Amino acid sequence: MQPFLKVENLVKHYAAGRFAFSKDKFAALDGVSLSIPAKTSLALVGESGSGKSTLALCIACLEHPTSGSIWFEGIDVAALQKNQQRLLRPHIQLVFQDPASSLNPRWTALEIVTEPFFVQGRFSKQDRNDRACTLLDRVGLSRKMVSRRTGELSGGQKQRLAIARALALDAKLIILDEALSALDCSVQAQISNLLLELQSSLGLTYLFITHDFAMAAHFADQIAVMDHGRIVESGAAENILRSPIHEATRSLLAATPRVPETYGLSVES
Amino acid sequence: MTRPRKLARWFVALVVLHCVVAGAGFFAPYDPDEQDRERPYLPPMRIHVMDAQHRLHLRPFFYPLRLREGSFDQYEQDTTSAVPLHFFIRGAAYRLLGFVPSRLHVFGASGARICLLGSDAYGRDQLSRILYGGQVSLLAGLLGAGITLFLGALIGMAAGYYGGWRDELLMRAAELFLALPWLYLLFALRAFLPLAVSPLEAFLLIVVVIGMVGWARPARLVRGVVLSVKERDFVRAARGFGASDLYLLRRHILPETASVLLTQAAILVPQFVLAEMTLSFLGLGVPEPMSSWGNLLASLQQYSVLVSYWWMYLPALAIVPFFLGYLGLASALQERTGAYKIDENSSWSPT
Amino acid sequence: MRYFLRRTLHALFLLFGVSLLTFLFSALTPGSYFDEMRLNPQISRETVAALRAQFQLDRPLPIRYAHWLNAVAHGKLGFSFAYNSPVGPLLWVRARNTLLLTVTATLSAWLLALPLGVWSASRFGRAPDRILSWATATLLVVPDLVLALGLLILAVRTGWFPTGGLVSFGFETMSPLYKIRDLASHMALPVTALVLATLPMLVRHVRASVAEVLQAPFLRAAAGHGIPQGKLLYGYALRAAANPLISLFGFSVGTLLSGSLLVEVILSWPGLGPLLIEAILARDLYVVIGGVLLSMVFLVGGNLFADVLLYWADPRIRTAASAK
Repeated sequence: MQPFLKVENLVKHYAAGRFAFSKDKFAALDGVSLSIPAKTSLALVGESGSGKSTLALCIACLEHPTSGSIWFEGIDVAALQKNQQRLLRPHIQLVFQDPASSLNPRWTALEIVTEPFFVQGRFSKQDRNDRACTLLDRVGLSRKMVSRRTGELSGGQKQRLAIARALALDAKLIILDEALSALDCSVQAQISNLLLELQSSLGLTYLFITHDFAMAAHFADQIAVMDHGRIVESGAAENILRSPIHEATRSLLAATPRVPETYGLSVES
Repeated sequence: MTRPRKLARWFVALVVLHCVVAGAGFFAPYDPDEQDRERPYLPPMRIHVMDAQHRLHLRPFFYPLRLREGSFDQYEQDTTSAVPLHFFIRGAAYRLLGFVPSRLHVFGASGARICLLGSDAYGRDQLSRILYGGQVSLLAGLLGAGITLFLGALIGMAAGYYGGWRDELLMRAAELFLALPWLYLLFALRAFLPLAVSPLEAFLLIVVVIGMVGWARPARLVRGVVLSVKERDFVRAARGFGASDLYLLRRHILPETASVLLTQAAILVPQFVLAEMTLSFLGLGVPEPMSSWGNLLASLQQYSVLVSYWWMYLPALAIVPFFLGYLGLASALQERTGAYKIDENSSWSPT
Repeated sequence: MRYFLRRTLHALFLLFGVSLLTFLFSALTPGSYFDEMRLNPQISRETVAALRAQFQLDRPLPIRYAHWLNAVAHGKLGFSFAYNSPVGPLLWVRARNTLLLTVTATLSAWLLALPLGVWSASRFGRAPDRILSWATATLLVVPDLVLALGLLILAVRTGWFPTGGLVSFGFETMSPLYKIRDLASHMALPVTALVLATLPMLVRHVRASVAEVLQAPFLRAAAGHGIPQGKLLYGYALRAAANPLISLFGFSVGTLLSGSLLVEVILSWPGLGPLLIEAILARDLYVVIGGVLLSMVFLVGGNLFADVLLYWADPRIRTAASAK
C-alpha cells in the first residue's frame, strides 16, 4: 500500500551571499526522509533553525525543494507543473503559528474563511456563505463572529478561524507549524482536543511541528526528531519518549518543562 | 486635535479650494479671453461703500478707471459715475465642469468692467485668468501625479513581487532616475520634443513628461511595502489554496500600498503643479492664449512690467494656499502612518 | 576601504548610465540644431553639410557615443554649436559663477539653520519654538518661483539691489574694496532667495533630530554633572544628532550645481542654469550633455562625500564596516 505522505531525500538550499549569483549556500534541509500513514499524526520535533518550517513549506508546495521528492497519495508533488500543483494544493494545508500574521488583519472573519472558495472560483456567493457557516460551527466559533476582524478575536478564536480556513477545501493533510505554541495553556488544550476530534470525524492526517515534546506526546502516533536539516531519529511515540537514542533527542527531552510521567510514560536518562 | 480630525480638516480645505477653481466659470466675473485693448494694464480696482460725497450705499460699488490726462498708462478713478456691483448676475456664457452650460456669475457689473486684480497688456481681467489658469495648472499637477504614481506602483510591485534580476534591474534604473537633477531632466525632456504645438497638445505633452520623471521614489516605497507584505503568512496561506500572483497582488498587497501612495500623492501634486508653472513661465509649457499660473507670470520677464505693473505678480500667490493645503495633508497623513524619518521621502525639494 | 571602492564604483556606474541616457535621449529626439540652421536662408547648404560632417552627426549612434566618451576621457567635453567654442571652458566659467552663489547660500543656510534648530529644540513646545515653527511652515509653503519673483519685484521697486548680472559695468576699474562690495550687492538677491528656499527644511530637520536626542538619558546624566547649557547643546546633543544631518549636508553639497537653476534664471545670474536652458532650447547637444554630466558629478560626489563624512564622524559605522 502506498504511504499517504512520503518524503524522500529532500534537500533545500538557500543562497546565503549578497548577490543572487553567489556560491554561498545554506542547507536548510539536508536529505530529509519520512513517511506518514493516512489518518495518523506525526510530530516533528526540533529546535528553532532545525529546518522544520522549511520542510512544512516544501510539503505544502509553497517552496521549491532543491532536490528530492515528496509523494502525496502516490504523486510526486515536487515534480509537478504549477497548474497541476494548484489542483492538489487544497488537499495539503498549513496552519501557522501566529494567527495575527496568517490572517489578514483588515478582513472580516467571513472574508477570511471564504477566501479559499473565492480563489478557486467555483462557488456562488450564497454557497460560499453557507459553507462558511458550516465551517465555523465545526470549529466551535459562533456565527455572530462573521463580521468581526481579527483584532476583535482572542488567540484561541483566531486559531480556530485559521483551522476553519484550512478545512475549507477538503484538506486531507494538515501541517500544523507550531500552531499551538503561541496560545495559553488552557486554550492549547481546547484547540488540541478540537484537532483530535476533527481528525477522527474527518479522517485527517496531521503533521504536527513543535519544539515541545509534551505536546508531541499528547498528540502524535509517531515522532520524528530533526536537527540541522536532518531527521536524526524517528519511530513510534512511546519508543522515542521511553528510550531516546540520539543526543539531540535527549537534550530536547531534557529541556521539556512538563514531566512525561504525567502521560504515563517514564524516561530513562 | 485628534489625528482623523486633523486629516479631515486639511482634506476639506483642499476640496473647497479645488471646487473654487473647478467652478472658475462661476467665480470669475469675465471670460478669460475677453480683451479690452482700450484699457490695458489696469491696476487692481477698489470696491467702496462710501462715495466721494460721503454717502453710504447699501450696494457696494466701484468707480470705473479712465486714463489720466497726458498719460498713457496712469489711471484714475472716475468719481462721477458709481457703478454698482451685482451678485449672482448673468454674464458671459461658460460651461461648468466642461458640460453644464450656464451664464451665472457670483458677482459682476453692467456698464463697466471691474478688475479686482487688475488687467494685463490686452486688458484681460486677471482674476478670471487666475481662476481659469488654476484649472490648467492643477489639472496638470493632478494628472501628472496620477501618471507617476501609476508607473511607480506598477514598477514597484513588479520589482518587489518578482524579485531576482528584474528587481535588480528596475531598482538600478530607479537609482539612475533619482540621481538625475529633476528640473534639468524635465526641461530636457520637454525641450527636445517639438516646441510649436497647439495648447492642448502642449498640455498633454507636459503632463506626460512631468509624469514620467518622478516614478522612482514612489516605486522604491511601493517595493518596500511589497517586500514586507509578500512574506506575511496570510499571503502564503492564500497561495496555499492556489491563488494566482495577480490575485495576491490585487487583493492582499495592493491595499497595503494605499497609504504610501496617498502620502506620495499629497507630496507630489504640488511639486508637479510647480513644475508646470516653471515650464510655462519659461515658455516651455502651456502657450497663449490658454492661461495657466505659469504663463500668467511670463510677462514678468520684462523689466517694464516689473517696474510699473506689480499686480502681474499676483498669480504667483495663487498657488500658496494650495501648497499649504497639500503640505498640511501630507504631514497629517505621515503622522497617521507614524512615519517621520529624515530622508528624501519627507523632503519638499524636487532633487 | 572596500566600502569606498564599492561606493565609488557605484558612482561611476551612475555617471556612465546617465551619460548614456542623456546622449541617447538627445540624439534620438526630433529636431536638431542643424534642422533649424537649414531653415535659415543665410547659411548655405554646403556649410550645413560640412558642419554636420565635422560633428559626425551622420554616423550611427554607438560610434558617436564612443567618440564622445573618448573625448571626455581626454578632458574634452565636445563642441558647442551655438557658441562656436569648446564646451569645457564655457561650462567652467558658468559653473564657477553658480558655485560662488550656491556655496555662499549653502554655508549661510547651514550656519543659520544649526543655531536656530538647536535653540528651537531646546525650547521645544514653548512659545519661541512655536513661533519659529510657524515661520518655517510659512516659508515652506511659498515655492522658490514665487519667492524669487517676489524678491525681484521688491528689488526693482526699491532699487536697493542690482537686479541682474555678476558685476556692474566698469568692474575692472574699481578698487578691491569696491569690487567686493559690488559683487556682494549683486549676489545679495539670489543668495537670499536660495537661503529662504532651503532654510525652513534645514531648520526643521535640525530641530527634529536634536529634539529627539534631547530626550535621551545620557543627556540628562550630563546635565546632572553640571555641564553648561551651551556645551550640552552643541557638544553633546548636536554631536549625537549629527547622522541624519550629515546625510542632509551631503545632499546639500550634491545640489550645489543643480538646485539654483530657477533662481539664476529669474534673477539673471550668469550661472550654469541659464546656459543650460539656452542650450536646451537651441538643441546644443554637447553643452546639454556636458552640463547635465557636471551636475551629476556633483550630485553623486555629494552623496559620496556624505558617506565619507558619516564614516568619519560616526564610530559605529566604522566598527560595523570593519567587522564585515
